[in-house]
Amino acid sequence: MGRIGWRGNQEKAGVGSTGQQSSAPELLRMERITKRFGDLVANDEVTFEVLPGEIHALLGENGAGKSTLMKILYGLQQPDSGQVNLDGRTATIRSPHEAVSLGIGMVHQKFMLVPNLTALENVVLGVTSPRPPLLELRDPRRRLMKLAEEHELAIDPDVPVWQLSVGAQQRLEILKALYRGARLLILDEPTAVLAPVEVGQLFRVMRLLAAEGRGIVFISHKLSEVKAVSDRITVLRLGRVTGSLPTAEASPSILSSMMVGRDVSLERVSPPVQGDAPILEMRDVSCLTDRRTPGLASVSLTVRRGEIVGVAGVDGNGQRELVECIAGLRPITGGRIAIQGRPPKGALRKIGLLGLIPEDRHEQGLVGDFDVAENLVLRAYGRRPFSAFGFLRWNQIRSHAVEQINAYDIRCPGPEAKVHHLSGGNQQKVIVARETQEDPALLVAAQPTRGLDVGAVESVLNLIRGQRDRGAAVLLVSTELTELFAVSDRVVVMHAGQIMGTVPPDPARLGEVGEMMMGHTIQVASDGVTAA
Amino acid sequence: MDFAATLPRLVRRVFYRLVVPVVSIAAALSVSGLLIVVASGNPLEAYGAMLQGAAGSIGSLATTGVRTTPILLTGLAVAISFRAGVFNVGAEGQLYLGAAFATVVAVAPLGLPGFIHVPLALLAGFVGGALWVAIPAYLRAYRGVSEVVTTLMLNFVGIYLISYLIDPITGPIGERNASYAQSALIQEAARLPVLISGTSLHAGLLMGIGLAVALQILLRYTGLGFRLRMLGGNPTAARFTGMNSSRQIVIAMLISGGIAGLAGAGEVMGLRMRLYDHFSPGYGYDGIAVALLANSSPLGVIISASFFGALRAGANAMQQATGIETSLVLIIQALTILFVIFGPLRGWVATRTTRRAGLTPGGSESAP
Amino acid sequence: MPLDPAFVTDWGSASIRLATPLLLATVGGVFAERSGVFNIGIEGMMLVGAFTAVATSYYLGASADPAVVSLLAALAAMLAGGGIAFIHAFLTVTRRVDQIITGAAINILALGLTNTLFRAIWGETGRERVAGFPEVRVPILADIPIVGPIFFQQSLIVFVAYLVPIVAAFVLFRTTWGLTIRASGDFPLAVDTAGLSVTRVRYAAVLFGGTMAGLAGAALALGAIRYFTPGMTAGRGFIVLGAIVVGRWHPMIAAGACLLFGAADAFQLRAQALNLGIPYQFFIMLPYVLAVAAVAGAIGRANPPQQLGRPYRREAG
Repeated sequence: MGRIGWRGNQEKAGVGSTGQQSSAPELLRMERITKRFGDLVANDEVTFEVLPGEIHALLGENGAGKSTLMKILYGLQQPDSGQVNLDGRTATIRSPHEAVSLGIGMVHQKFMLVPNLTALENVVLGVTSPRPPLLELRDPRRRLMKLAEEHELAIDPDVPVWQLSVGAQQRLEILKALYRGARLLILDEPTAVLAPVEVGQLFRVMRLLAAEGRGIVFISHKLSEVKAVSDRITVLRLGRVTGSLPTAEASPSILSSMMVGRDVSLERVSPPVQGDAPILEMRDVSCLTDRRTPGLASVSLTVRRGEIVGVAGVDGNGQRELVECIAGLRPITGGRIAIQGRPPKGALRKIGLLGLIPEDRHEQGLVGDFDVAENLVLRAYGRRPFSAFGFLRWNQIRSHAVEQINAYDIRCPGPEAKVHHLSGGNQQKVIVARETQEDPALLVAAQPTRGLDVGAVESVLNLIRGQRDRGAAVLLVSTELTELFAVSDRVVVMHAGQIMGTVPPDPARLGEVGEMMMGHTIQVASDGVTAA
Repeated sequence: MDFAATLPRLVRRVFYRLVVPVVSIAAALSVSGLLIVVASGNPLEAYGAMLQGAAGSIGSLATTGVRTTPILLTGLAVAISFRAGVFNVGAEGQLYLGAAFATVVAVAPLGLPGFIHVPLALLAGFVGGALWVAIPAYLRAYRGVSEVVTTLMLNFVGIYLISYLIDPITGPIGERNASYAQSALIQEAARLPVLISGTSLHAGLLMGIGLAVALQILLRYTGLGFRLRMLGGNPTAARFTGMNSSRQIVIAMLISGGIAGLAGAGEVMGLRMRLYDHFSPGYGYDGIAVALLANSSPLGVIISASFFGALRAGANAMQQATGIETSLVLIIQALTILFVIFGPLRGWVATRTTRRAGLTPGGSESAP
Repeated sequence: MPLDPAFVTDWGSASIRLATPLLLATVGGVFAERSGVFNIGIEGMMLVGAFTAVATSYYLGASADPAVVSLLAALAAMLAGGGIAFIHAFLTVTRRVDQIITGAAINILALGLTNTLFRAIWGETGRERVAGFPEVRVPILADIPIVGPIFFQQSLIVFVAYLVPIVAAFVLFRTTWGLTIRASGDFPLAVDTAGLSVTRVRYAAVLFGGTMAGLAGAALALGAIRYFTPGMTAGRGFIVLGAIVVGRWHPMIAAGACLLFGAADAFQLRAQALNLGIPYQFFIMLPYVLAVAAVAGAIGRANPPQQLGRPYRREAG
C-alpha cells in the first residue's frame, strides 16, 4: 500500500516514504472499542489501527464518533469495553498525561495553549526542567528551534501565544507534541481553521513527520483533503466503522456511501416553489468576527418566499457571522441587509418576522433551568395572550405549552419539566416550536441537527420543510452536505466569509460543492491541494 | 428509603425546598453546641436562653423584628441580583449611601406631613443606593468589567464617604461640635411609625415584607421578572431572543442597589433617627448569607432573615443568662452558610427531584 | 511644614510599617489569584493570624526570649491562616463552590471565632501587651539621614517583607512552579493535559495565600500595637484585594501599590493634625478608588487571569 494514494503534486511527497507493509508491527491498535453516553452509542465495537510512517485518515460526519474515539486514545475518556494496544502491548490510558508519556500527541481543534504564556513557556509547561525547580529555558529553546527547523514549523518562541496567528498556534501545538516525543500524532480537524496556503504547508509537515516513522491520525470530514494527504482511510458512521481501505482504492462515491449510507440523498421531496417575493436580501454585506478579523466579505444573498436556501461550508467560514448579522446580533461594517424591506436590528423582537434556530441549543437556544412552558415563550412572553399589562398569564402559557407539546410531539413529562432534563432532539423541537409558532416570514436555522440521533434529525428536518411548504423563506446552515442536499432548493457554498457559488441540490454536483468549500471557484482549475 | 416520595405534591416541594437550609442550620447549631461544651457551657441552656431572648415575649419578638429588618432588605437586594445573574457584593456601601440620601431629606425641615415626608425620604434612600451601584452596573453591562471587585471596593469608599459627610468639623451634614460623627436628628415627620408601642419595632419590617412579596410577584408574574430570570438563567440565550441584556443588567443592579439603600434609610428613619459613622455591622454581607440560605427566593428571604435576626436578638439574652459570648452567633451564621454550600445534601435533593421527573439528568445529550 | 525632615522621617517610617501587613498578604493573594482562585476571605485569614499571633505570644509569655516568642507566634499565625485557607481551598477547588460566597462566610467565621476566643481569654477589657517582633537597627545604614530611620530601623518583620516580593517574583517567573501557577489561572485545561494537577496547584496557591495572610496578621498585631482588638484588621484584607488588582497580579508592582496605600494611610493619620483642607477620609478611600479605576481599565490595561473565579472541571474543556 504505502504512499500511492497521494494525488497532490507536492514535490517532497514521496521523499523518505517508508512504504510500510501490513507485516510491520502496528504502532497503534484500538480493538473493539465501545463507548456509550446514556442511550447514545458513540463508539460501537470500533477497531482502528495505525502503522508507523502512516497517515491514517479518520473520516466521518459530525457525531460519527471520531472525537470520542480519539478522546479515549488520549485518555480523556475511558471506553466501556475494548482495548488499546501500543507497539503490540496493551495500554491503559487514564489521563492525557499517560497518553503523552506513551508517545501520543494530540492537536485539538481548540488549542490547549495558555494565552498569556510565551510559545516557549507553553512548550515546557509540565515538562521536567533541566534544573528543577528553576525554569531553565536555554536548552529547551535550542531544542525547540531545532525541532522547528527540521519540520518546517516556523515559530517565534518569545511571543505570548495570544499574539500568534491561528496557523502559528497550530504549528506550536505540533511542536509541543514533538517536544514531548510524540510518535503517534492525532490531528483533530486541523484544516478547519487554516487558510488554503496553510493547508498545503500543514500537509507537507505531516508527510515529513510520517517519513520519520511517526504515525499520524488525520481527522477530517473533507473528502478532498483526506484523498490528498492520507495513506489509508477509515470511515466512521453513527459510531461504527463502515469501512477501512487504502486511499488509492477509495473513490469519492465509495467514501460518500460509507459516510452517509445510501438512502439519505434520494429522499428529496420538492414541492413547487410558491412565489418569488424576496424576504431576505443581503447586498455586499461585510462584518468582523469576535476576534476583529474579517468575518463576512461582501456577501450577497437573496432568500425568497417558499424556498429553502442551504448554506454549505466547513465550520468557521463565516456561517456564524452570517446568521448573527441577519438576526441583528452582530453589527455589519458594510453593505445592506433587509428582511421584508426592513433592517435586521430588532427583527428578533418581531416573532412573526424572523424565527431563529441558533447553532448551539444549550448556550443560545434554551434556558436550562426554565421549564418547557417557559422556554416555549422565551420570545413571546411579553405579548398577548401570554401577557397583559406587563403581567404574565400563566394559564395561557401552560395551555399553549400543552398544545405545542402535542403538536410537535415533544417527549417530556409535561409543561413543568425543566428543559435540561429533555433529550437533545426534544430540546431542539422546543426551539423549533417556539421559533415557528407565529409563522415567521423568514426562518434561519443554524446547524439544527447537530448532535441529534437519526430519528430526531429526520423530524427536525421535516419541521423545517413544513415551514417552507407553508411559504416561509428558510435559510438552512449546515455542515452536513447530505442533509442540505436533501431539503434545500438551492445550496450556496461559503468559504472564508464569502459565497463561492450556488448549485442546485443535485447529488451529481457534490464534487463542485466540495471544491468550493475549499475555496476554489468552479471555473478556475485548482492548484496546490487538489480534490479528486 | 425515599419517604418523601409518598408525600403529597405540595408538601414534597416544600420539603425539598427546606431540607437543605434546615439540615444546615441544625448542623451549624450542633457544631456550635460542641464549641459551647468545649468551653464548659451547656448548649441546651444557651440555646434556650437565646430562644427566650428572641421569641419569649412581645418585647423580644420586637427585638427580633428590629434585627431582622436591615438584613431582610439587604438579603432581598442580593437575592434579586443573584436571580438576574449579577453578583452585587456591594450592598454594604449602597446601604450607607441610601442612609445618607434619606438623611438629607429626613433632616430637612420641609414642614410636610409624615405620609409625604417619609416616602420622600425613603425614595431618596432608594435613589442613593441605586446611584452607588450605577458605576459598577455601567462597567458590567457596557464594558464587561466584573461587578465583584467594583461593588466590593465601593463599599469602603461609601463608608468613608459617609464618615466624611457627617464629620463634626468638615462634614457638610455633620452635626457641628458633636462628640461623635453624626448627622442632626431627623424630623419627627420623617420617622417610620413604631409598630408596637414601648418597643423599637418600626414600619421598616413591614416595608421589607411588602417588598419581598412584591419581588416574588415581580419575578414570577411580570415580564420584567421573566427577563431578569432569563438573564440569570442563560444570558446568551437571552441575547438570542433579541433582548437588550445590557439594559436588563443595569435595571437589575439598580433595583438591587436601591433596595440596599432602603435598608440604610430604614435604619436611620426607624431606629437611629440620625446617621452615624460605621453604623452597619456588616448588614450588606449578611445579605449575601441570607439570600444564599433562601436560595434567592424573596419569600424565602423573609424566613432566613428572621432566623439571623432571631440569632442576633437572642445573643444578648444568651450572654446575660449563660455568659457565652454574643459573637457565637457569627459562628453559627458562618457555619450555616458553609454547610449550605458544602453541597452533598443539595446533590441528594437534585437527584431526588430529577428522578421524580422520571428522567435522568442531562438526557442523552452528554455525548460530546 | 509637611516637608520638614522630622515629619518626613516619621511619615516614611509609618508608611513602611503600615504597608508591611498589606504587602505580605498581597503577595500571597497574587499567587492564589494567579492560580485562578479569588479569595475575599483574606480579611478573615489576617484576623485569625493576628489573633493567633497575639495569643501564642501571650501564652509563651515572658518565659522565653521575646525574639524567639515572636517567631513562634508568627509561625502559629501562618499555620492558622493556612488552616482557614484549607477550608477555602476545599470548598472552592474540590467542591467547586462559589468563591465569593465561601470567602464571605470565612470572614464571618473568622470574626466570630476571634471575638469569642478573645473574650474567653482576656475578658471584656483585657488588653495586655505581649512580646512583639524585635526592633532591628541596621548599623551604618540606619545612620543615613531620613532614609536610614525610615528603611533600616524597623521591626524584624519589615525586613522580611523587603525580601518577600523579590522572592515571589522569582518563583512566579523563574521557576516551573510559577509557570504552572500562571498557567492554571489562565487556561487550566492546558495544565491538566500537560499531566499536572490543577487541583494540587490551586490548593498549594490558596494555602500559600492563607499562610501569608496569617503572617500579615502577625505583622499587624506584633509589629507595633502588640495586642489584639476584635476586628482589628478593619478592612485591610479588602485593601489587599485592591492592591492585587492595582498591581496587575505582579508581586513587585503589587508591593509598590501596598507601599502607596501604606503611605496614604500614614498620611491620613497625620493629615488631621495638619489642617490641609483635604478631609482625611479621602486618603483612606484612595486604595479602593484606585482599585475600581484599575479594574475599569482606567490605569492601563487590566489583564486578570482569564479563569479567575471559575472552578475547573475536566469535562468542561
